[in-house]
Amino acid sequence: MIPYDFAYFKASTAEEAVELYQSLREQGKQPVYYAGGTEIITLGRMKEVYTEAVIDIKGITECQTLQLEQNQLVMGAALPLTKLQEANLFPLLSQTISEIADHTARNKITLGGNLCGNIYYREAVLPLLIADTDVVIAGKSGRRRIPLNSIFDERPCLEDGELLTQLITQSDYLGLPYYSVKKRRQWDVGYPLITVTALKKEGKIRVSFSGVCLFPFRSERIEECLNDTRLNPDDRIERAIQHLPKPISNDVEGSPEYRLFVLKNTLLDVLQALEGETYAHN
Amino acid sequence: MTIGDSIFRKEALEKVTGTAKYTDDYHSPAMLHAKLIVSPHAHAKIKSIDILEAQKAPGVRAVVTGQAEFPLTGEEIHDRPPIAFGKVRYHGEPVAAVIADTLQLAKKAAELVKVTYESLPVVNSPSEALSTSAPLVHENLGQYEKIQHVFPEPNTNIADRIKIRKGNMEIGWQESEVTVETNFSFGPSDHAAMETRCATAEIRPDGHILISSSSQSPYMIKKLMSEYFDLEAGKIIVTTPLVGGAYGGKVPTQLEIIAYLASKAVGGRPVKVFNEREEDMITSPVHIGLEATVKLGSTRDGKLKAAKLFYTFDSGAYSDKGATISRAAAVSCTGPYFIENIWCDSLCVYTNHPYATAYRGFSHSEVLFAFERTMDVLAEKLGMDPFELREKNAILPGHTTPTEVDLNSSNVGNLPECLRKLKELMKWDEGRFIKINDRKVRAKGISCIWKTSTIDTNASSGVILTYNPDGSLNLLSGLVEIGTGTKTVLAQILAEKMKMDVSQIHVRMEVDTQTMPEHWKTVASRGTYMAGRAVQQAADDLIRQLKDMASRVLVCSPDELEVGYGKVIVKDDPTKSCMIADIAYGHKYPNGNAIGGQIMANGKFMFKHMTHLDRETGSGKPGPEWTVGAQGIEIEFDTRDFTYRILKAYSVIDVGKVLNYKGALGQVMGAMSMGIGFAGREAFIFDRKGKVLNPQLRTYVPPHYGEHPEYIVEFVETPHIDAPHGARGIGEHGLIGMPAALANVLSNAAGINLNQLPLVPELIWKIKTQGVQNDSV
Repeated sequence: MIPYDFAYFKASTAEEAVELYQSLREQGKQPVYYAGGTEIITLGRMKEVYTEAVIDIKGITECQTLQLEQNQLVMGAALPLTKLQEANLFPLLSQTISEIADHTARNKITLGGNLCGNIYYREAVLPLLIADTDVVIAGKSGRRRIPLNSIFDERPCLEDGELLTQLITQSDYLGLPYYSVKKRRQWDVGYPLITVTALKKEGKIRVSFSGVCLFPFRSERIEECLNDTRLNPDDRIERAIQHLPKPISNDVEGSPEYRLFVLKNTLLDVLQALEGETYAHN
Repeated sequence: MTIGDSIFRKEALEKVTGTAKYTDDYHSPAMLHAKLIVSPHAHAKIKSIDILEAQKAPGVRAVVTGQAEFPLTGEEIHDRPPIAFGKVRYHGEPVAAVIADTLQLAKKAAELVKVTYESLPVVNSPSEALSTSAPLVHENLGQYEKIQHVFPEPNTNIADRIKIRKGNMEIGWQESEVTVETNFSFGPSDHAAMETRCATAEIRPDGHILISSSSQSPYMIKKLMSEYFDLEAGKIIVTTPLVGGAYGGKVPTQLEIIAYLASKAVGGRPVKVFNEREEDMITSPVHIGLEATVKLGSTRDGKLKAAKLFYTFDSGAYSDKGATISRAAAVSCTGPYFIENIWCDSLCVYTNHPYATAYRGFSHSEVLFAFERTMDVLAEKLGMDPFELREKNAILPGHTTPTEVDLNSSNVGNLPECLRKLKELMKWDEGRFIKINDRKVRAKGISCIWKTSTIDTNASSGVILTYNPDGSLNLLSGLVEIGTGTKTVLAQILAEKMKMDVSQIHVRMEVDTQTMPEHWKTVASRGTYMAGRAVQQAADDLIRQLKDMASRVLVCSPDELEVGYGKVIVKDDPTKSCMIADIAYGHKYPNGNAIGGQIMANGKFMFKHMTHLDRETGSGKPGPEWTVGAQGIEIEFDTRDFTYRILKAYSVIDVGKVLNYKGALGQVMGAMSMGIGFAGREAFIFDRKGKVLNPQLRTYVPPHYGEHPEYIVEFVETPHIDAPHGARGIGEHGLIGMPAALANVLSNAAGINLNQLPLVPELIWKIKTQGVQNDSV
């Protein structure tokens, strides 16, 4: 049970949502955008999320869009993960999100919520980071479309009150060779020990990580090392992991040393899968 | 007729339609709600509790904190204040309860209670507890009230020590040509029942105390509340509706006491205490941890000659069932083998962990993990197949147990037959280590199991049967339906006896201690045995009464009659009969005269010849019979990553007699799943200060559907003469060999000794790369 009271608002356009946010904020209500609600419920219960007003964005048409046209895949931020997974328009994304939480939760967790929420794994962002995805953001001064990578630093860095409405990936990325794997402490349910996604574009491997540190990331330095084909895979991986952000996570899922062990093996699998004569879809 | 059939549970339709009601589903307009404030520290002095702000908060009726005059509680040792007083002894311990009009208001106000602590050094494991420099968890251990058969050691952290001294160890070691010694450890974990624990209490103006609880022990609540608060037992009425999974976690009395104190603080109004998941995981009692050393001696051809066993159970901050669990561990300390010379010390120790209570298997999965793992270590040293070593030493009729009970063909099942069947099912002869490719291997491992119950020697069970006007029967038993389907099996036993359709038996699911006869506790896989015998006795009484009444109608002697198929029939002339429906409420003669009245019957049961254990040698008869079995696991193991997948899990159990086939299968498979979860993933992770880092289902992950292996379950049927239809206990047994089987198969696959739980890949990696083991094999 959530111990605090909060007001509920439902917006029908992004502009309305943004305006609501501003006015609620001015009233000191600490508003939050609400789509799936899984974090508001489960963290709110523990008071790790606090708000006096939620703004439901599920009714905003553009946040529910899912279409592939004019060579781009447009994905609304309020789409439940299950829906994206089942449509399977972007196989790397589908596979990666199919490992988040469990089926029941994925019916509620949304794409935007996974990216912008409090739980830091944000695994849905991994394919988007390596697929040069754009984000559409509605704010006080209107709407802007910019590369996700340009605003992603541990999390999407939005201005206060901005609403992430859509993610747009160019269609030529959708069919690229890919690899996605989630390694857990044990078996098939739970947070990641590490999650790694990879794409191969124009002969170069791109890779992004979650669980390794307290935030997801993509690193050009790491990619450079991994793509340095003058060296053998083991040496490339050894060099790549020198560029991991610090510190390596140390929590109930596993120790930093073990994470590195798993990471090295996983990177070996990435190289094998994407550099082999035939590439495997995991 | 119905015995053995897969009869649907009587409460199935309610459950699958979501209409089944559990304790928290019952509300009344007058009901208030309590929210607990729990300790963030594992061991600390309570310097002050400021409740002023909370008292002023909207909707708040009272705030209850620990008081010197509150009784100390506990089933064996009275060591636990119902709400912490003076100091806290575990992370999650209740320090106050806020009672308000709604749960939301209570929760809001709970944030306003300010507690200041001064932290104390922490006892973070059983071995730390035993070190001479250990802080004392209970400074006044010597002064606590206790039952006669528990022996706390004052000025230590030892709550109880049970000794087994069988045979002569000196001779045992002399005859041993080969010895192995191995150390084991695992920490506490959770039951993780779907329904979190909940209790309500109300004090009526006439002094009656109404308690409702999600409990396995409503009659024990009545007894203990009467004892703790000096109340008339007859004035305490406990009800228990359906229980959504218990697994031992709902044996203890905890929230009921807080609910009663809360009700008292608000003038007797009903108060509900409901655990949120986090509280259910650490505030309410947990699954016990263990450190163990097992030393075995055998001849070169694998005959066991001596076993020296040292078990130290991590009972956490309070003893609750910890001492009883340590006793049960001593009773079954060796696994199902005949060994002439046994030395065992089984200790229940206090630590600053959440306190332990019963957990499905009651010490057996824990002890078997240590013992059965050592059997594999010995087999390896002997160069012997694990099956062969177990077959060679299997316990049989004619042997004695560690507590020197004489076994016969009734009180122990057929272990060799279970082993034979398991070996065949697992295709053991094809090899237990098969290389699939450069990285993957397939491996197999096994464990034997046995279990008896160590319940109170005078535990009893009663049943009342009443007729309805249509000739159908009502069955009233104090057994709690905790999800095992036992109440349906009771209906089957009654249907069989009365030769009637099981659909004509109405089983009262909810327990009410005022109107239903006592069933001691719904524990120890003893429901069917105890209540089943009571049902059979009641049915005999019923049949006697029916014959008596029918003899007047049919004008013959009662012993010339037979009951069945809704009728009482004249044996040698079946054309002459009367309908039970016509005599169930007595008989009316044509002239209007009537005799009899509603027919009702009762039956009761108590075990015979149970004894306490001798304090010095442990000899005694703690339980009526031993269920035995053999279990196995087959995995695919990745030798590079140390990850694994369980492909198949096997159980062959001698259940005496299968009473409800699908029910028995479900019990065994569910228990196996739980055992795999406990062995493979579930454990609380503590920091150095004894704080639980994963008291949430986000990070404490029980097995999920889809992660399960293929379950292969077969039964052997060697009847236990005293039990209804010969059936042996089966509720827990599927669990108890799983941890050992998993540790054995992984040790085999990885080529190392894995003697800790949970068996996560990181543990295997650690031992593989750092060789963290301390065994002298």
